[in-house]
Amino acid sequence: MHLAYTPQQQAFRAEVRAWLAANVPPAPLLTLECEEGYHQHVGWERQLASGNWGMVTWPEAYGGRGLDLIEWLIFEEEYWGAGAPLRVNQNGIFLLGPTIMEYGTPEQKERFLTPMAAGEKIWAQAWSEPGAGSDMAAIKTTAFRDGDHYVINGQKTWSSRASFADWGFGLFRTEEGSQRHKGLSFILFDLDTPGVTRRPIRQLHGHPGFAELFFDDVRVPVENRLAGEGEGWNVAMATAGFERGLMLRSPGRFQAAARRLVELFRQHEHAAAPSAREAVARAWMDAQAYAYNTYAVAAKIMAGGKIGAEASLNKIFWSELDRTMHRTAMQLLGAAAELRHLADGSINEWLEGYMFSLSGPIYAGSNEIQRNITAERLLGLPRVGAG
Amino acid sequence: MDMLIAPERLELAEAVRDYLAGTHGPEVLRRLDAGPNRDPAIWQGLVDMGLPGLLVPETHGGLGMGLLDAALIARECGRVCLAEPLVESAFVATPWLIAQGQTANLAAVVAGEYRPVAAHAINGWVADGEGESVASIDPLRRLAAPVEAQSDDPLLLDLGALMSAAQLVGLAEAMLDQAVEYAKIRTQFGQPVGAFQAIKHKLADVSVALEFARPVLWRAAQALDDGAESAALHVSHAKLVATDAAYLSAESAIQVHGAMGYTYEVDLHFWMKRAWALGGAWGSRAFHLARIDAAVIGAAHPIGPENTFA
Ligand SMILES: Cc1cc2nc3c(=O)[nH]c(=O)nc-3n(C[C@H](O)[C@H](O)[C@H](O)COP(=O)(O)OP(=O)(O)OC[C@H]3O[C@@H](n4cnc5c(N)ncnc54)[C@H](O)[C@@H]3O)c2cc1C
Repeated sequence: MHLAYTPQQQAFRAEVRAWLAANVPPAPLLTLECEEGYHQHVGWERQLASGNWGMVTWPEAYGGRGLDLIEWLIFEEEYWGAGAPLRVNQNGIFLLGPTIMEYGTPEQKERFLTPMAAGEKIWAQAWSEPGAGSDMAAIKTTAFRDGDHYVINGQKTWSSRASFADWGFGLFRTEEGSQRHKGLSFILFDLDTPGVTRRPIRQLHGHPGFAELFFDDVRVPVENRLAGEGEGWNVAMATAGFERGLMLRSPGRFQAAARRLVELFRQHEHAAAPSAREAVARAWMDAQAYAYNTYAVAAKIMAGGKIGAEASLNKIFWSELDRTMHRTAMQLLGAAAELRHLADGSINEWLEGYMFSLSGPIYAGSNEIQRNITAERLLGLPRVGAG
Repeated sequence: MDMLIAPERLELAEAVRDYLAGTHGPEVLRRLDAGPNRDPAIWQGLVDMGLPGLLVPETHGGLGMGLLDAALIARECGRVCLAEPLVESAFVATPWLIAQGQTANLAAVVAGEYRPVAAHAINGWVADGEGESVASIDPLRRLAAPVEAQSDDPLLLDLGALMSAAQLVGLAEAMLDQAVEYAKIRTQFGQPVGAFQAIKHKLADVSVALEFARPVLWRAAQALDDGAESAALHVSHAKLVATDAAYLSAESAIQVHGAMGYTYEVDLHFWMKRAWALGGAWGSRAFHLARIDAAVIGAAHPIGPENTFA
């Protein structure tokens, strides 16, 4: 344990800070859930990539900087501290990218990672189906082999970014008659392939942040399969591990929100409930605790360790922290909470954030599922009965 | 920047854990409760491991270790609900005396013959002191009215709060373990109660609270050891989250045990009562929250993502 940054780490922080100060758009972009905002965010990804900031931990060969996880955390701290835009590229860089690095062939790495880091191809995740939400092994959409192609038929849903994105990845049943976790394969597909129909779905806020995907004899080349045929479940679990574990929600995001909440509290202090004071202090505490834990996990991984089922604890913690912070802000705002724009004309980010925070405990494996995993895999409680 | 506690650094705490697990099981707590509460043989075992001298500089015959090492061991003391006053004497009073330059009696401290006590005004009592005894709900605590002058030194308070937090984490971990074990063996409706999701989720919540209390504790211990300007803030943070985790673990554990948990016969009560005691000792919730409030809302401390380790 050593709680000081090295001179190199400090220099790196200064470099990130300077670049962001010169490049972060002065006015917030439109939400990435609407078409125009989506394209603005893609533009931002390309700007990041032009400075090689797309994914600093990736090898330079794929457009990264070959840096370690502590430097990644420093980057993220500066990123969120600077109020930079949300990452429209997150499904690619945080989830699929690490999965390809682990399971991809050299050709797949070459083909997919570089355009990913460059922000040229934006990815959508396609696991869920109408009948397969928490119970993902109930997937029915099939991808049967026809020569050197798979032919996909069926339906996916709630696929984030899929309304506008370029490519998708997901699990498909490649073995006829297979059950549950068996016979599934992890396949990447171009969302513009003939036979794919996207139906954008409006979310709480009114924008089409996710979409239904219909597959009607969609032909996808076999080389788009990641890892072996029938091995998809294990690959998907690795992706889910990245999602719940270290990458998807870096602490800086919540620390920045906690700081904004403190500022909001100061403005509304005269009218705040006594409980709000504690909730605000608590927001800072929990965001800090999440940061310390992330630094510890990063150090563990750098020392050769792995994150296992503890990723579930992480996911429960950040998603509920986010919701609590935004609820506190809604309560501080009082009668202004419902307004889509605040008095100065700016978007009511607390309201937008509160709506989004309600989805945190649902996506990436609901928090009930995470609690089941915690109880069964970390605490060793019996699996029989419910759950 | 390294938040990981190096494996070598965990070795002593692990040795203490093994030793206490082998010699200080719940039957010891029951025996002490039925008798005089303290046992020279247990104390001698701790002395033989060098623990009273853990924080004493090597030049004075001690082990010369730091507050993080002490916090790791205090957590183990909490795990077994240790009755002997090791933590308050060796990890709170002793480093405070050393910080004040009072080094005359350190040889006796290391030898386990002199156990300094720490009287701080915030408590109103002294643990294992000489004065008139004061009853605690914790049957193994020996509180006394202070006869010595009570200090109001914030360093003493921070040491007491930090080490209470460390014990609270250990207590909470032990209560969670007890609840998990009970939930596996108690059957109702033809299945272990631990297979019911309501029980699983309750205990999962305790795991979450602990997972995010531990790094706060280690960070606070390191900050106080480093003499960081913000150490008091981090100690308060640790005390709050450790207290909350311990109360949550205690209430969840008693619930999982059903009526058994409400009896004096199931050992859980020892841990639960220690948690109540330490949760209020060395600064109440209100006290520690006020320090955080002043730093965070009162803008005395830089916050936000670039200031994680400020
Ligand atoms: C904003 C958002 C973005 C999303 N993005 C994507 C995406 O990009 N790609 C994608 O594939 N999917 C995505 N999803 C879908 C998401 O993965 C599912 O919503 C999630 O897995 C839960 O499935 P469900 O909605 O069908 O809920 P259900 O599984 O129907 O669950 C309903 C309720 O029952 C509970 N429940 C279910 N099973 C159990 C159990 N065993 N024990 C206890 N409680 C249980 C759940 O916790 C929940 O509270 C997204 C969802 C949201 C909200």
